[in-house]
Amino acid sequence: MNKEFKLLAKPYIAWLFVLAILPIFVMLLLSFMFSEGLSFGESYFTFDQFALLGEDSTLTAFSNSILYASLTAIISLVLGYFVAYNVYKSKFKNKFIVLTIFILPMWSNLLLRTEALGNLMEHNNIITDLLLQMGIGISIGIKGTPLAVIIGLVFTYLPFMILPIYTALEKIDYSLEEAALDLGLTNMQKFWKVIFPLSLKGVATGSIMVFLPSMSGFAIPEILGAGNILLIGNVIEQSFRNMDYNFGALLSIFILLFIMGALYIVSKVDKEGETLL
Amino acid sequence: MQIVEKKVIIELSHITKQFDDEIVVNDLNLKIYENEFITLLGPSGCGKTTTLRMIGGFEKANSGKIIINGKIINDLPPYARPINTVFQRYALFPHLNVYENVAFGLKNRNDIYLKNFFQIDPTFEKKIYVDIIKRKIDEAVVEALKLVKLTGFEQRKITQISGGQAQRVALARAIVNRPQILLLDEPLAALDLKLRQNMQYELKEMQKKLGITFIFVTHDQEEAMTMSDRIVVMKDGIIQQMGTPKHIYNEPVNRYVANFIGESNIIPGVYLRKDLVSFMGVNFDCTGYTFGNNEPVDVVIRPEDFDVVELSEAKLIGKVTSSIFKGVHNELTLDAEGVELFVNTYENYEVGEPIGLKVDPYEIHLMKVQTDE
Repeated sequence: MNKEFKLLAKPYIAWLFVLAILPIFVMLLLSFMFSEGLSFGESYFTFDQFALLGEDSTLTAFSNSILYASLTAIISLVLGYFVAYNVYKSKFKNKFIVLTIFILPMWSNLLLRTEALGNLMEHNNIITDLLLQMGIGISIGIKGTPLAVIIGLVFTYLPFMILPIYTALEKIDYSLEEAALDLGLTNMQKFWKVIFPLSLKGVATGSIMVFLPSMSGFAIPEILGAGNILLIGNVIEQSFRNMDYNFGALLSIFILLFIMGALYIVSKVDKEGETLL
Repeated sequence: MQIVEKKVIIELSHITKQFDDEIVVNDLNLKIYENEFITLLGPSGCGKTTTLRMIGGFEKANSGKIIINGKIINDLPPYARPINTVFQRYALFPHLNVYENVAFGLKNRNDIYLKNFFQIDPTFEKKIYVDIIKRKIDEAVVEALKLVKLTGFEQRKITQISGGQAQRVALARAIVNRPQILLLDEPLAALDLKLRQNMQYELKEMQKKLGITFIFVTHDQEEAMTMSDRIVVMKDGIIQQMGTPKHIYNEPVNRYVANFIGESNIIPGVYLRKDLVSFMGVNFDCTGYTFGNNEPVDVVIRPEDFDVVELSEAKLIGKVTSSIFKGVHNELTLDAEGVELFVNTYENYEVGEPIGLKVDPYEIHLMKVQTDE
């Protein structure tokens, strides 16, 4: 690598150290300490917060996280595969534009998007209003229910499923499909014996990319769950808000280990990183 | 010819295929016989691959009939045809190993098909015949791999084998299904010369041994010559000529075929009267052609058919403009009164040296002058 280019990378490396690596070490430290917020004056080492890990509320939040993230991943997988497969099979000249339309929502702010979605899930919203003007009085309010959270999570993270699956599908040589037909497979068999196995990389990558943020995020359950549904992200957020940095840090480290494990799996199934755009 | 007595296995009748406005295959008629090695030969874009794909069921003909064993199969999906294909770039399944690739076609068939395929007693109970099928598939795969000389490669991944081996796997994967017709779409194109030549012989041997009709597509005339029982020369979706390699080589029907099949000298001439033709200002005896008296014709003489003789006995004299040593023979280019002639000879001649040429009457081949070229 060129020396000048190496030099250009320095600011980012410094940035990474100050704002990512260093805080992680601070968190690691915090999780074994008792401290008043971030003032280290009267702090001491302790394992007290480890006891909190076993509390019902924490365990519920954990299992909720896993449950919601799994459901989101499964629903996104079914919907995402369907979308990706149809784009892949379609005869559009410019499939990139179609995919861009799917990514488009990702370019708007997550909180705004979620708030807007939350608004649509309330009893009185712009759509019921419009319907009422036309003489139709329907009002379904699902905000605050598990369904609302799941819809929000799927709505937000579906593109992360579509893209890797599409990339994997696009890599399948068309002659393989012809070979499958030639060897006596029906179209359905062809899909399950050839296309699906060859797109598994994309499925694995996509699932993890949907699962991780769904599990660790807190904004979507907070807004759409209206405080009724606690995921682990919400517990972390609350701990930090209540100045309980030690417990928050401990949980964060836990989540971090989880994410690193998942990324390790991604790097194993997708060595070239080809399905990650 | 004895071919006439053979049974037609597949017939293409007035097949036309259009992509958008472009006619790729134009009113093609072709009968292919049992146990025949037939080659569709032509440059890219001549419709040979499209024809093959229509036989395989990957393209639908716009009009015409494809008849196999007397049945019209135009609308039959690929899996229902007694045909298997060796694809141009092999199209092996990368998620399966060599064994699984070869077993793929049989493994995914239903029990009724397989019972029939292996001729298992239909009254057997499921418990029994499932085991038999399993064993029979295994035997068939092992046998197919043995045939293509890949015994011991069963567990290899597709990414761990060479191009030549991939070629063999593709072949085994097709023939294990015992098709009546095997389609081969330029299967040797990606191999290097030595390997390609070896495979040519092996393919020919295999075809004889298996007794399957091979329909081979290539743009390589030498390949076609080596392997085929019959060659079909195509251009712009139309069959130019079909016949045995010898027949096509020795008696091309037009300039296009003559040029495509090997090196040749094509000289404009005039058919004076029966068995007498004039070209380059000299009268030659010829034999076996009937044209109108004084009709203009194209004269084809293969480079190896010229005889180099003493200047005093020569009918044509040319000056050597280049001489290339080709191992067995020399390839001479001559300038004979402004006409460029290619001559193959065993003797050595210097550039600039004048040499005399003669041609035997039966080496002179005449063709109708084509107006479209």
